[in-house]
Amino acid sequence: MLKMTHLSKVYRTEVVETYALRDFNIDVKEGEFVAVTGPSGSGKTTFLTIAGLLETFTGGHYHLDGIEVSQLNDNARSKIRNEKIGFIFQAFNLIPDLNVYDNVEVPLRYRGMKGAERKQRIMDALERVGLASRAKHYPAELSGGQQQRVAIARALAGSPRLLLADEPTGNLDTQMARGVMELLEEIHREGATIVMVTHDPELASRAQRNVHIIDGQVVDLSEEPRFHAHNARVADA
Amino acid sequence: MQIKPILAALKRHKAGTVLIALQIALTLAIVCNALFIIQQRVSKLVRPTGVAESEVLTVQNSWVGADDATAASRTKTDLLALRGMPGVRDASFSNSYPLRGGGMSLGVKTDPDVKKPITGATIYYSDDHSIDALGAKLIAGRNFLPQEIRWVGSNEFDAPAQVIISKALAHKVYPDGSALGKPIYLALGETGGKPSTVVGIVERLQVPWSGNWASNFVEYSVLVPYQSTGAFGSYIIRAKPGQLDALTKAVPALLFKTNRMRVIPAERGVRTFAQVRDEAYKSDRGMAILMGVVCAVLLAITAAGIVGLTSFWVGQRRKQIGVRRALGATKHDILSYFLTENLLIGAGGVIVGAALAIGMNLWLVSHFEMERLSLLYVVVGVVALLLLGQGAVLAPAMKASRVPPVEATRSV
Ligand SMILES: Nc1ncnc2c1ncn2[C@@H]1O[C@H](COP(=O)(O)OP(=O)(O)OP(=O)(O)O)[C@@H](O)[C@H]1O
Ligand SMILES: [Mg+2]
Repeated sequence: MLKMTHLSKVYRTEVVETYALRDFNIDVKEGEFVAVTGPSGSGKTTFLTIAGLLETFTGGHYHLDGIEVSQLNDNARSKIRNEKIGFIFQAFNLIPDLNVYDNVEVPLRYRGMKGAERKQRIMDALERVGLASRAKHYPAELSGGQQQRVAIARALAGSPRLLLADEPTGNLDTQMARGVMELLEEIHREGATIVMVTHDPELASRAQRNVHIIDGQVVDLSEEPRFHAHNARVADA
Repeated sequence: MQIKPILAALKRHKAGTVLIALQIALTLAIVCNALFIIQQRVSKLVRPTGVAESEVLTVQNSWVGADDATAASRTKTDLLALRGMPGVRDASFSNSYPLRGGGMSLGVKTDPDVKKPITGATIYYSDDHSIDALGAKLIAGRNFLPQEIRWVGSNEFDAPAQVIISKALAHKVYPDGSALGKPIYLALGETGGKPSTVVGIVERLQVPWSGNWASNFVEYSVLVPYQSTGAFGSYIIRAKPGQLDALTKAVPALLFKTNRMRVIPAERGVRTFAQVRDEAYKSDRGMAILMGVVCAVLLAITAAGIVGLTSFWVGQRRKQIGVRRALGATKHDILSYFLTENLLIGAGGVIVGAALAIGMNLWLVSHFEMERLSLLYVVVGVVALLLLGQGAVLAPAMKASRVPPVEATRSV
């Protein structure tokens, strides 16, 4: 579904070149639920923005759903974002000028979907996150957890195959975070591929697979987790 | 396409929206009326007088120390001298001429027993040279005969036996086109009076006044076969082709050589007809230019307001533009969002503005000499302002479309 090989991303400013990602390799299979962890500034968000076609990369290859992404023009990238990818951001990123209903409608309109189908999908998605009764509310009138559920509804409404979430629970308390996590698990069970960046080890442990990024590179966890686990047990003892 | 959500979002930005819409409305109202005034002034400016304007020189003359008899004989001498000049085609003497600014007017009737004249008309004292000197075109009947010309004192006007009138006046008093040979009555008393037979019709001859109040009878002229024995009058001198410039110096020189007992005012005493026209329409031209400047300034302010507000909104909405891009909006979608938004604000503005424009015109009509605004001006103004809005919004909208999708992930 999502395959990066020897991928690199360099941020150039006048004075410095920052390698946000270097020789970055990852292969996420269709239907997987992957949690991405790593220290702050390690390149997790950078990875996600490139994966989600929000940004271009400097070197290497990225195949999304079998398509070599670097060949695509801006319009084609917009279309893929719109049809195949759902985004969930740490800061929710709802449009403050639009009510809940209109927020969920945004990606559907860009897809050129007919009004009746839009309405059906919006109500289904809001139903799913338990906020159908708040359709006319504005984001500012909702709690953080509710806003994030609206954002999930917005990501879901277009039935994306790939869901990218950057610390979706980072701004939420434990209970709200659990609710969001349960929703993501449910969506995963229905067949979506999910890549989620998180700082929360508990949430990460609920994913099928953990990818650890340090200093812009994926660290192989097939060896290390056992090592860490072993250490942990030793420490416990 | 996405009108509903744009309107929904605008509701959350009422102040800016209303401000710009009002600015558009006021601009439309003022620009429509100003353009209408400009058009009216300009159409006046280009109105033909019936005079061979590029060949005519006018000289304002007043005799010093002359009674009626000597004034008449001096004027006759002048005319002979002028007509004898090598560069002169013909010359005549009159109380006034088109666009001069001052002149004489009388009511005109076809029935002497009716009190109310059909219309007012100007009276030009003329002789058998006048039509040729003015360069007017006789289209029916005949010129005055030399023996028909009478020298009269300035206060002893009575109805002449023959008159030559302008075509416009002929059609006004005899709408069936049968004026030639018919009598008209110059309204000197309430009723009664002697008939004046229309012996000739000239194609066009404007009155001396260029003000709006004269627009009802701007081409109603009557040539009477009188020459004034008064001290004041104007020579109308028609130059041979290419001789006009030379005559502006030669004519006053010759006149003073012929008789020094005269005053030709230093200002406006000797004027080519081009100067006459220029001076007659000075205030109209000034008004048109002022209105034009007002329009340009207003349009520029409105455009600047739109650019300013949209730029501000684009800056304010960078994040949500990034989010929209992340959710699948193309650059074109973002561009068209801002263009559509502007069009909606503009539509609100021009609806109010069109009503204001018509209201403002009705007020001008009732308080000043203004005509009713043609709806075409409103339509053109509406289209122009909508286009202005789209043009003004283009640069900030392009800037918005270049906000990268990754902006969605940047923390505020
Ligand atoms: N637009 C940018 N310009 C320059 N450098 C950038 C830019 N975005 C990210 N970086 C740099 O790239 C590196 C990786 O950043 P990134 O945001 O991917 O980290 P992260 O793992 O998401 O961190 P966190 O856990 O704090 O969110 C950092 O060193 C960061 O300073
Ligand atoms: Mg991050």
